[in-house]
Amino acid sequence: MKPSLLAFGLLAPLLAADSEIIRRLDDVARTATVMVDGDVCRRIVTPRALDYMFKKDPGDPWAAGDNYEVNDAAFIAVKKTLLRLSRLAPFACDVNLWMPVPGHPDKIRVVIRNVNELSQFWPWGALYQDMIPSMKQVLDTGRRVTVREKPGWISVLAPVYDSMGDIVALTETVTHQPVDSHENVK
Amino acid sequence: MRNLLLSAACFPVAAYAAGISLEATPEYLRPNPFGGNIAADRGPAGFTDTVHLQVPRGGHASFHLVVKMPQPGPYTVTLRSDPNQPQAELFREWFHFTESDKQYYPDALIPLNLPYNSVMPEPDNHVSNQTAQAFWVDYWIPPGAAPQTFHQRAILRVGNVNRELPIDVTVLPSVIPNDDVLLMDHNSYGTSWLAEDYPSLSKKLGSSFFQSDEFFRLIHDYHRIFYDHHGIFHQLGYGHAGKVGPEFAPALEGAGRNRRIANWDLYDRHYGPLFDGSAFKNTRRGARPIPFAYLPVNPEWPASLVNWGEPGYEAEFVHVLSEMERHFREKGWTQTRLEVFFNHKKRYMGFPWDGDEVRFPSDNRYFVEYGRLLKKALPANSPVKFVFRADVSWDMEQQFKDLAGTLNMWVASRDILSWLPQAPSMLRSRGDVIFFYSGPPAVTEPASTITQFPLEGWIRGVDGFVHWLTVSAGNDPWFHFDGGGTALVYPGDRFGIQGPIPSVRLKIQRNAVEELTLLASLAGHKQGLETSSLQTEACRLFNRTAPKDWWNARPSFADTPTSEWTGPALDEATKPAMSHLAHIDPEAWARVRGYILRLAAEGEK
Repeated sequence: MKPSLLAFGLLAPLLAADSEIIRRLDDVARTATVMVDGDVCRRIVTPRALDYMFKKDPGDPWAAGDNYEVNDAAFIAVKKTLLRLSRLAPFACDVNLWMPVPGHPDKIRVVIRNVNELSQFWPWGALYQDMIPSMKQVLDTGRRVTVREKPGWISVLAPVYDSMGDIVALTETVTHQPVDSHENVK
Repeated sequence: MRNLLLSAACFPVAAYAAGISLEATPEYLRPNPFGGNIAADRGPAGFTDTVHLQVPRGGHASFHLVVKMPQPGPYTVTLRSDPNQPQAELFREWFHFTESDKQYYPDALIPLNLPYNSVMPEPDNHVSNQTAQAFWVDYWIPPGAAPQTFHQRAILRVGNVNRELPIDVTVLPSVIPNDDVLLMDHNSYGTSWLAEDYPSLSKKLGSSFFQSDEFFRLIHDYHRIFYDHHGIFHQLGYGHAGKVGPEFAPALEGAGRNRRIANWDLYDRHYGPLFDGSAFKNTRRGARPIPFAYLPVNPEWPASLVNWGEPGYEAEFVHVLSEMERHFREKGWTQTRLEVFFNHKKRYMGFPWDGDEVRFPSDNRYFVEYGRLLKKALPANSPVKFVFRADVSWDMEQQFKDLAGTLNMWVASRDILSWLPQAPSMLRSRGDVIFFYSGPPAVTEPASTITQFPLEGWIRGVDGFVHWLTVSAGNDPWFHFDGGGTALVYPGDRFGIQGPIPSVRLKIQRNAVEELTLLASLAGHKQGLETSSLQTEACRLFNRTAPKDWWNARPSFADTPTSEWTGPALDEATKPAMSHLAHIDPEAWARVRGYILRLAAEGEK
């Protein structure tokens, strides 16, 4: 057998497994677009918290975090949906909610994370971060995008619509292979 | 005096041939690798060529032994004593190159077997032009030791040159009580850092590392090293969105009314030896169960938030907590207080309310609901000690009132507690537990700085304090050190030790709490020696303060909604008391120690 054929023979099952994982994640992401209520998502973070998020005060460097506030009923309603969605996959995955920041088109923020503490994009502790091109693509086009930028990570990004038909958020359906059961226990 | 007697203080230390010498400094005067002292520690004390220690029974006494060699070369250090006398432990002090000021500080202590043969400069420490190597000498005097003075010698051999340093240790009749005057807690998060800190072990064991006997032995070693140093150790076992490390919780199965504990294996291997005390057998303080431990309970465990507000959430929570209570009771694990504790903050986007440091009072209703669930889950007469803990800051004054009877363990912001002087006694009188939280001082601060925490805890009348993170020494503590503000122990892997090694700061903290425990025990022994007078004198000697100076006035903004408070206003309100602690002078605890030993000696007359 030629080396290239041998390599393909060894890699083929892995590639097939990967494509099956992507297919499953994509199913979840597609369902998320139908099930996640964009109007409720918009009510999660309070206007006061959004206001503080961008205030800079050298004398009070923790002000943004200290004033981070959410509407708990809206949060829990959406989180329950995300938790249920993640159970559609036969492996450990999270469905996280991301939203753009009003008035800051170059920024994006995670709004709800989930129990496996998985995300390909969130730097631990950030209230917001620079817009991620693949997320912008989803927000602009409404098309799902699969992202495999980091080794072992697979995320499928999907749009979330409100009752007016506008894209107001996106979900990150994400897994990591292998799952590290000790990471982010902190 | 237990302190070093400066027998050579009036004249310079003898100039030894070729500049080779063996000298000593008190524990608060850390040596540097070039024959001098750490600048932050400089005071009236200096290098001496004799050592005289005084130590109560059941306690430790320590000093730095320093080999000085102006020329590179091999040397041998040993301690000589009568085998019937208490034997000293010797540790090599690692000089950490600290990034913030580009200076070397000794902190990690590497246990040695004697004699110790090495070379100046110390080959693995890579200090250019090193001319001095420091060793920490630790004496432990058992409670049953006979009061007497024993004489030992430290010996340095460099080629044909011998240097000796006489060590006199006087064992005082006083005995330090078994139970510390307060608890010193050392906190940590998860276990993933163990794989990183012990690469030789984790690589060898591969994917089985986290289920291995070696892994659980490592965890128990961390508990043991803090216990040996009169501390306790906490490991939080879940993340801000509810992910639970497998060794921190029993494995669950089923959902709703069918949720149950499927497997205790990893949990029992982790906690069994801690809850029955067997992890501490053969230690100097004896086998005792740990006094506190976190439970894995969080908004996503054991009940899933997917059922929040519905009967299924209550069923899952109550059923599993009931099973846990029964398991602990059947095992006889009834000495440890098991903490239901919510660490999450909404800013980390896992849950919509703050379990840690409530700022918005509307979040308190979640504590009330979990309090209800706990009461339903746990038999009122259970011998198992469950406690409901909250770490509190902004809203603590109101929480103390509103959540009375729900929460019964409080870990309070040191700053905000400083304007609530009645709170500790009020909470303790109703049976609650009160700690404050803090963090270890960096090595760049005077070595005596760490003694402020036990003294402050005693002055404030709390049950203990928590150093919030104590096992995270940074990416490269050996050559690019971050200062150790989150570490009081170090991984021993680099030195072939599959367990933690102590630090200078941990030893100093241990010695201080031993002495403080002795001081507190002297209250009422004779007229005029009430706790208040002992505290007054200890404060005066420590930093020329009175106990009232350790408290602040309640600021006017404390009457406004906590959501309107700002960081700068908080800083301003706590400045008066904190300013007394901003710069602890190197001799601060040495003066308090002198007072304690003098009182103890008088009490024996």
